[in-house]
Amino acid sequence: MAVDCEAMNDFYNIMAFAIIALPLITSLGFMVVPNLASRTCWLISSIVSLVTFGISVLLFVSYDTMIGGTQFGFTVPWLSQGINITFGLGLTGISASMVLLNGIVLLGACLISTDIETRGRDFYVLLLALGGGVFGVFLSSDLFFFFLFYELAVLPMYLLIAVWGSSTNFGSFNRSKEYGAMKLMMVLVAASVLIWIGIIAIYVETYMNGTPTFVFDELRILSESGLFSSGFQNWVFLCFMIGFGVLSGLWPFHTWSPDGHVAAPTGVSMLHAGVLMKLGAFGIIQIGIVILPLGAQTWMPLLMVLGIVNVIYGAVSAMSQTDLKYIIGYSSVSHMGYVLIGAATLNSIGLSGAVLQMFSHGIMTALMFVLVGAIYHRAHTRDIYVLNGLIKTMPHICVLFIIAGFASLGLPGLSGFIAEFLIFLGVIKISLWIAALAVLGAALTAVYILRLIARTIVGPVDPKLENLPDANKYEKIVSVAFASILIAVGVWPALLLDSINVGISSIMSVL
Amino acid sequence: MQYFWLIPVISFIAFIITSLVGNKILKQAWIFPVVAIILGLGIYCFGLTEYLQSRFDLEHCVRSSVTGMVGCNYSVGWFSAGVTGKETVDSFLGFTVDPLSLSVAGLAIFVALMVQIYSIGYMKDDPRFGWYYSVQALFISSMILLALSDNFLLLYVAWELVGLCSYLLIGFWYEKPDAKEAAKKAFTVTRLGDVGLLIGVLLIWIEVGSFNMSDLFSYVASGQMESWVIFSISGLLFLGAMGKSAQFPFHVWLPDAMEGPTPVSALIHAATMVAAGVYLVARTYPLFVESEAMMLIVSIIGLITAIGAALICCVSIDLKRALAYSTISHLGLMMLSLGAFGYTAAILHLLAHGFSKALLFLGSGNIMHSIDDLDINRMGGLKSVLPGTTILFCIGALSLAGIPLLSGFWSKDEVIVSIVHNRNILFAISSMILVFLSGFYMIRLIITPFFGTQNRDYSNAHKLPMVMLIPMGVLAVFVVLFGWVALYMPGLPSSFGTFLFYSHPKNFHLEPDIASITLVVTLLSFGAGYLFYVKRISIFQTFKTRMKFLITIIENKYYFDELYQILVDKIVLPIASLVALFDRVLVNDIGINGPGHITRSIGSLIRYHVTGRIYVYLGLMTSGMIILGILWLWIVRL
Repeated sequence: MAVDCEAMNDFYNIMAFAIIALPLITSLGFMVVPNLASRTCWLISSIVSLVTFGISVLLFVSYDTMIGGTQFGFTVPWLSQGINITFGLGLTGISASMVLLNGIVLLGACLISTDIETRGRDFYVLLLALGGGVFGVFLSSDLFFFFLFYELAVLPMYLLIAVWGSSTNFGSFNRSKEYGAMKLMMVLVAASVLIWIGIIAIYVETYMNGTPTFVFDELRILSESGLFSSGFQNWVFLCFMIGFGVLSGLWPFHTWSPDGHVAAPTGVSMLHAGVLMKLGAFGIIQIGIVILPLGAQTWMPLLMVLGIVNVIYGAVSAMSQTDLKYIIGYSSVSHMGYVLIGAATLNSIGLSGAVLQMFSHGIMTALMFVLVGAIYHRAHTRDIYVLNGLIKTMPHICVLFIIAGFASLGLPGLSGFIAEFLIFLGVIKISLWIAALAVLGAALTAVYILRLIARTIVGPVDPKLENLPDANKYEKIVSVAFASILIAVGVWPALLLDSINVGISSIMSVL
Repeated sequence: MQYFWLIPVISFIAFIITSLVGNKILKQAWIFPVVAIILGLGIYCFGLTEYLQSRFDLEHCVRSSVTGMVGCNYSVGWFSAGVTGKETVDSFLGFTVDPLSLSVAGLAIFVALMVQIYSIGYMKDDPRFGWYYSVQALFISSMILLALSDNFLLLYVAWELVGLCSYLLIGFWYEKPDAKEAAKKAFTVTRLGDVGLLIGVLLIWIEVGSFNMSDLFSYVASGQMESWVIFSISGLLFLGAMGKSAQFPFHVWLPDAMEGPTPVSALIHAATMVAAGVYLVARTYPLFVESEAMMLIVSIIGLITAIGAALICCVSIDLKRALAYSTISHLGLMMLSLGAFGYTAAILHLLAHGFSKALLFLGSGNIMHSIDDLDINRMGGLKSVLPGTTILFCIGALSLAGIPLLSGFWSKDEVIVSIVHNRNILFAISSMILVFLSGFYMIRLIITPFFGTQNRDYSNAHKLPMVMLIPMGVLAVFVVLFGWVALYMPGLPSSFGTFLFYSHPKNFHLEPDIASITLVVTLLSFGAGYLFYVKRISIFQTFKTRMKFLITIIENKYYFDELYQILVDKIVLPIASLVALFDRVLVNDIGINGPGHITRSIGSLIRYHVTGRIYVYLGLMTSGMIILGILWLWIVRL
C-alpha cells in the first residue's frame, strides 16, 4: 500500500511540474520551429492549454482537504553551496483554487484568440510563457523561483500589449497602446523591485542566522521561532504590501491597470485582469502574512483603508467612463479592493472571502472581457454612446454580459455575492463603518452596471449596428462555460470554500 | 410540510427548462411554469391542511416562546467558511413553516397561478412569450423562497432574486426607453434600501453569531441585546423593507414599474413582491416590538406614505399608475398597522389587498388588451363594452374601499381598530382621512372609466378570451369570501386571529362604533365622488380652481422624481466625473507620468555631454582624473 501511495504522489508531483513546464516548453518549441502558421499555433496552444486545464482540475480535485497543508510537494536543490536555493513545488488550499482559475482562464484566452493574424506565432510564444509563469507563481514553494516565475508572468505583457493591443482615441482623450504597455511595465517593474528587496532582505536575515533559505515552509518555521524582529517585519511587509498591492491595483498605484486592460487584446486582458492581478493578492496572503505576521498586523489598518478607497473610488470612477473597457477596468480596481480589505481583516472569514473573490472576480472579469472584445471586434467601437440596443443583434453576447454584470454587482446566486458577503462579515468584525462603505460600494456597482446595460444592451437598436453577427462558436463555448462556473460557485460555494478554508487555516495558525 | 422545499425547486426547474427551450416551443412555453405552480399549490394545500390539523412532527416543530405560534424548521447545510477554532460562519438552506410564511406563500402561489393562466391570453402575441414565462417561474420560485426562508442570508438571497425578476419584467419591453429606464430605477432604488438590509444582516450576525431568525428572537427575548442595537438593526432592516415596499422616500420606483406587462404589475408590483417589505417587518416583529421608537417610526413612515400616495392617486390620469399609487398607499397602511401593534390586521390586510389589487390590475389589463389605452380621461362608458370586467373591477375596488362583507372591509376595520387603540388621536384622524381618500379614489376609478360619459368609439375593441376572465373570476370569489376568515377559518375552531398572531391569539371582534364611523366615512367619500365626477357640481369645480396650486404639486408627485433627478445629475454624476478627472490628471498624469517625465527630462539634459567630439571627452576625462587625484590626496593626507 505504501508503495502505491508513493507512486501516486510521484504522479501528482509530475503533474504539478508538467502544468508549469508544458506551456513553457511549447512556447520554446514555437520559437525554434520555423514557419508555423498562426492557425497551427492557435491549435497547438489550445490543446496545450486544454491539457493544463485538465491537470489543474485534477490537482484541484485531488487536493485532500481532510489533510490540508502543502501537498504534492517536492524539492530539488538548485544552487546548494552555502546559498541554498531550491526548486520546489507544492499545492496549498489557496493555490489549488488559484491554479484552477489560471487553468480555466488560460484555456479561455487561448480559445478565443482566433482573430490574431499578424505574427501569430510570437503571440502564442508570449501568451504561453505568461500562462506557464502564472502556474509557476502559484505552485512554487520557494521564494526565489516564486519571483522568477512572477517576472516571467509579467514581462510578456509588455510585448503582448504593445504589438497586438489597440489604441483608444476619444478625440479629447487619447491613449496609445504603446503608452499603456509602457506604463504597465514601468509600474509593475518598479513594484517588483520592492518585492525583490523584501525577498533579499528576508534571505539576508536568514543568512545571518546561519540558515540561509528561500523555502516558504522553512521561512515560516524560522519566523515562528522569532527570527524576524518586529521592526524588520514592519519595513519588509510594507515593501511586500506595496509591491504586491500595485499588482492588485492598490490605490493610488492603480492607473496602470485600466489603461493596460484597455490597450490589451482580448485574450491578454482576460489573463491580465483575471489572473495576473490576483498574483498580488496571492503574494500578500500567502507570503506576506505567513512569513511576516507582525508586519501584517502593523500595516493592515492602512491596507484596509486603501482597499476601501479602491472599492469606492473605482466604482465612482467607473460611473463616468464612456469606454466599455474602461468601465470594466475601473470595476476591476473596485473589485480588487474587496480582495484587499478581505485580506486586511486577518480573520479567517475575511481571508476566505478574499480568496473566493479572487476566483470569482477572475472568472467574471475574464468573461466580461471576452464579451467586450467580441462587441469591439464586430462594432469597431467601445463607446457606450455609440453602441445601443445590442441585444437585438447579438443576443448571445448580451445575455451573458448581463449575467456577468449581475455577478459583478453581487447578485445572490452568482459567485460574487458569496465572496463579497464573506468579506463583509470579516470586515464588520473589525469596523462597522468600513463594512458599511463596502456594502455601499456594491450598491454603486449596481449603478454603473445598470447604466451600462441600459445604454448599450437594451433600448432601440441603432440601424448602423443592425447587421452585426453574434458570437462565434469559440466565444460561445468560452462564455457559456464561464457563466456556468459563476452560477455553480454562486449556488454551491462549498465547491471552492472547502479547499480555501483549509488553506486559510494554515495561514491562521501563524496569526 | 417537510416537502415545502419542493415548491421553489419545482418552479426553478421550470425556469431552467423554459429558458432553454422557451423559444422553440414559443406558444406552449407556459406549460412548464403553470404545471410547476399547480404542483406547488398541491404541495402547499397538503402542507396547510397538515398544519391546520396540527399534525406536527415533533422533531422539527416547536411553539415559539416569542410569537406563540408553532413553527416547523427544516434545514440542511449550505456552506461554511472560516476556520474552526477561530471564527467561522455557517450558513444553511433552511425553511420555516409557520402561519406567517404559510399566509404569504399561499398568497404568492395562488395569485401567481391566476396571473400565469391570465397571461396565456394576455401575452400570447408577444415574441418573447418564452422569456416571459421563464422569468415568471424564476420569480415565483424566489418569492416562495423569500416567504419560507428561516434565516437572514437565504432571505437576502431571495430578496435580491425577486428584485432581479422585477427588474427583468419591468424592462420586459426593453426596446422602449421608458421601460428600460424604469427597470433601472426600480433596481437601483430598491438596492439602496438593500444596503441597509445587508448591513442589518451583518450586524445581526455580529450580535447573535447566527443568521437564524429564531436564534435572533430568543437572543432578543433574553434581554441581552442593548436597546440602541435593537433600534439600529431594526432600523436597517426597515430601510430594506422601505425600498421593497416603496415606502416614502423610496416610493418613486413603483409607479414607473408599471411600464412592465400588466400581469406582472398584478403579481409582482401589487400582490407579492412589494408586500415583501411588510412581510420582513412582520417576520422580524419580535425585534421591532422591543423598540418603541422604531415602532413609532414605522407608523409615521407608513402614515406619510399612505396619505401622500392616496392624494396622488386621486389625481392620476393613468389607470395603472393610479392603481400603483393605491398600492403604495395600502402598503403604507400595512406598515402603519404593524407600527401600531396590529400584527394580525396587517397580514390580513396584506392578503386581502393582494387578492383585490391583483384583480384590479388584471382588470386594467383587460382594458389595455381591448382598447390599448390607459388614460382614464379618454375612457368612459366601458361598462357596455366590457361588462364582465366592469363587475370584476368593481368587486376589487369596493373591497379595497372597505365596503362591508368584501374582504377589504374586514382587514381594514381590523387595522383601524389597532390604530385607534394603540396610537394617539392624530393617527386616528389621519387614518380616517385615509379611509376617505381611498374610498374617493376608488369610486373615481370606477366611475370615470366604466360609467362616465362615453367619448370615443369602442368598435375596434378586442374581445376578451375566457382564459383571461376565468382566473379573474376565481380571484373575485376570493375577494368576496376571503375576508370571512377574520371570523371563521375552515379547519380551525375559530378565526384568523387565532391562527396568525403575535404573542397571544386574539379573536376578531367588530367594534361597532369604530366600524360604523369607518363605514360612514367611506360612504361620505362615495358621495363626494359621486357629486364630483357624476354630478360635477360647481362647488367642487371652484374648489379645484382655488386649490390649483396644491393640485399641481400633487399631480407632479410632490416633485420627488425631479428632486432625485437633480440629486443624480447635479451631485452624483459631477462627483463621478470629478473623481475620474482627478484620477486622470492628478493620479495618472502627475503621479505616474510625472516621474516618467522627470526621468526623461533629466536624461535629455544629461545627454548634452555626449557630444561625439573627442576633445570634449578627453577634457572631461582629464578633469575627472584631476578631481579624483585631488580627492585621493586629500583623503590620504587627512
